[in-house]
Amino acid sequence: MPSAIAPGEDLRERLAAFDGDLLAPDVRSRALDRFFATRTGRERPGRYWKTDLESIVPETVAGVAGSVRIENANARLVACDLAAAARLHAPLLARAFGTTAAGTTKFGALAAAFAQLGAFVYVPADVASDEPVVITYDVPAGASVFPYTVVLAERGARATVIERCTGGDGAAFVCGATEIVTEEHAELVYASCQELSTGARVFATRAARPGNNAKISWACAELGSALAVTDISVAIERPGVEVRITALFFPQGSQHVDVVSTVDHLVGDSNSETLVKSAAVDRGQARFLGNIRIARNAQGTNANLRDDALLLSTKAHIDSVPALEIAANDVKAYHGATVGALDGEQIFYMESRGIERNAAERMIALGFFEPAIAHFPTNALRDEIRSALQAKLP
Amino acid sequence: MSEPGLRIADLHCSVAGKEILKGIDLIVEPGKVHALMGPNGSGKSTLAFSLTGHPQYAVTRGSVHLDGVDVLALPPDKRARAGLFLSFQYPAAIPGIKVANFLHAARQAVRPGDLAPAKFRALLMEKMEVLGMDPSFMGRYLNDGFSGGEKKRLEMLQLAVLAPKYAVLDETDSGLDVDALKDVCDSVKTLRASDEGRAAGFLIITHYPRILQYITPDVVHVMIDGRIVKTGGHDLANRIENEGYDTIREEIGAIA
Repeated sequence: MPSAIAPGEDLRERLAAFDGDLLAPDVRSRALDRFFATRTGRERPGRYWKTDLESIVPETVAGVAGSVRIENANARLVACDLAAAARLHAPLLARAFGTTAAGTTKFGALAAAFAQLGAFVYVPADVASDEPVVITYDVPAGASVFPYTVVLAERGARATVIERCTGGDGAAFVCGATEIVTEEHAELVYASCQELSTGARVFATRAARPGNNAKISWACAELGSALAVTDISVAIERPGVEVRITALFFPQGSQHVDVVSTVDHLVGDSNSETLVKSAAVDRGQARFLGNIRIARNAQGTNANLRDDALLLSTKAHIDSVPALEIAANDVKAYHGATVGALDGEQIFYMESRGIERNAAERMIALGFFEPAIAHFPTNALRDEIRSALQAKLP
Repeated sequence: MSEPGLRIADLHCSVAGKEILKGIDLIVEPGKVHALMGPNGSGKSTLAFSLTGHPQYAVTRGSVHLDGVDVLALPPDKRARAGLFLSFQYPAAIPGIKVANFLHAARQAVRPGDLAPAKFRALLMEKMEVLGMDPSFMGRYLNDGFSGGEKKRLEMLQLAVLAPKYAVLDETDSGLDVDALKDVCDSVKTLRASDEGRAAGFLIITHYPRILQYITPDVVHVMIDGRIVKTGGHDLANRIENEGYDTIREEIGAIA
């Protein structure tokens, strides 16, 4: 239904009335300007993909909605509510918040405009934490929620952060951002698991800036919602960096999933490995764009992009586009992509061992995701992902 | 009337519309070892796949009974549960499924609930030792990145774990070095000496007589062009070793 006023005007009014104190009104307003001025650049709707991302705006923004729960067992790190971080740890927060490319994307700008609900994780130098910090965003029914997560890991720090997003009944709108900044030799594992209700729309912009010789493993599972749009990017501006991006998604019913990953090798002697495993069933639709960009002076770069898509019904559709842009001449860059149905020889092999056909198909489909699941931290999270995937299988 | 044995009668099978098997008659009795020899392309693997129900192998005529059970009426998984096993020449690699989980699922399917997990694990360890397999095998993905020898060992491990009534070994010896071949044959011998495997019948498909030096067949069949053209004892394998298939071809040419 066409709305009485232009969607933009409505949103500006709502932002003016927004009661968050995290950012100054003019900063928010400029972020909203960027949201309107920026295009996603994603492909337009076509035969399979039905959603026009350029025209999406949240219909209802009524103050700061949603809640965050933060679990952290290690007293040596800071893990707190974002608003509290702004009061108590402002200099630390300022070293990461708003310093990545997250705010330059369309939905990253929208997340910044309404940033208030969120979490800040700070891992001081040389602190190693084995227990993950778990951040859970709960989305109330029908609400518009803008969760913003900021992580700062100092030199030699080592930590794992798990972000969950749950709830979201009744056509909720979630537009969040994650910013990660690590210093030299820091090691960070960041896993996100989105299990929103099937009516929700979720937009996530995730960006990282690793320091010298830092390691970042970024794992992202898009399991719920009606529409999930995720943008993961890592800008490698320092040598010796190792980046791993893992994404898995499995649209079923009429779910749409749109994932873009970008690794920008701006300097050399760095490694990146991108692994994407996706499946679709029913009328599930997905598209994946995997960007690897290697700048002219990024010699000695080693970049690997692998994505496999499994189609489990005739009306399911996955578009998979690896895009390598290589300007340097002394690099190793590999990409491989497959799209296909279950392999008949694999099914027959399992059947020949007494395993019933449907069970064989389920085992194979679940196994297909395993190499990606293995990159997620903790047994509990891996099992949770397996269960969610299993529930989607025919 | 349920007669024991894997009883194949007048079996015709086509692949992609081309008839490959042109009437196979063969009975593997419980506890016996039959060898099926023949040159490349004679239809040996087609027989293996048509027995186990590969969807691309269309049986157009004939019957197969396993201890009285009409095998051809069953889907592949039920054939396995009836007690039929095929050791694949080229087993499929399935990334993401760990060997241990797969073996457990298969054992559960074929022999539901007969072993507690701890006992199952003990059984695996025991069988793996015979095959000279390292326990780290269990955590690997099924046949994924396995060498030819490792794949064959895993096929034999499955044979040992599932202990079928009738096993078809399709070119299990091909691509194996002497040590691996010996391990594989030891595994079969161990199974045949066990309570579970004493009554098992074997159909060993090969085109080299080498494996038959380790596992002595009771009967040797020679298949050429989709038909079994000659059946004999172990001496037939020796003759093939010395003369190849040409003299047999000449013989049947003379008869025809």
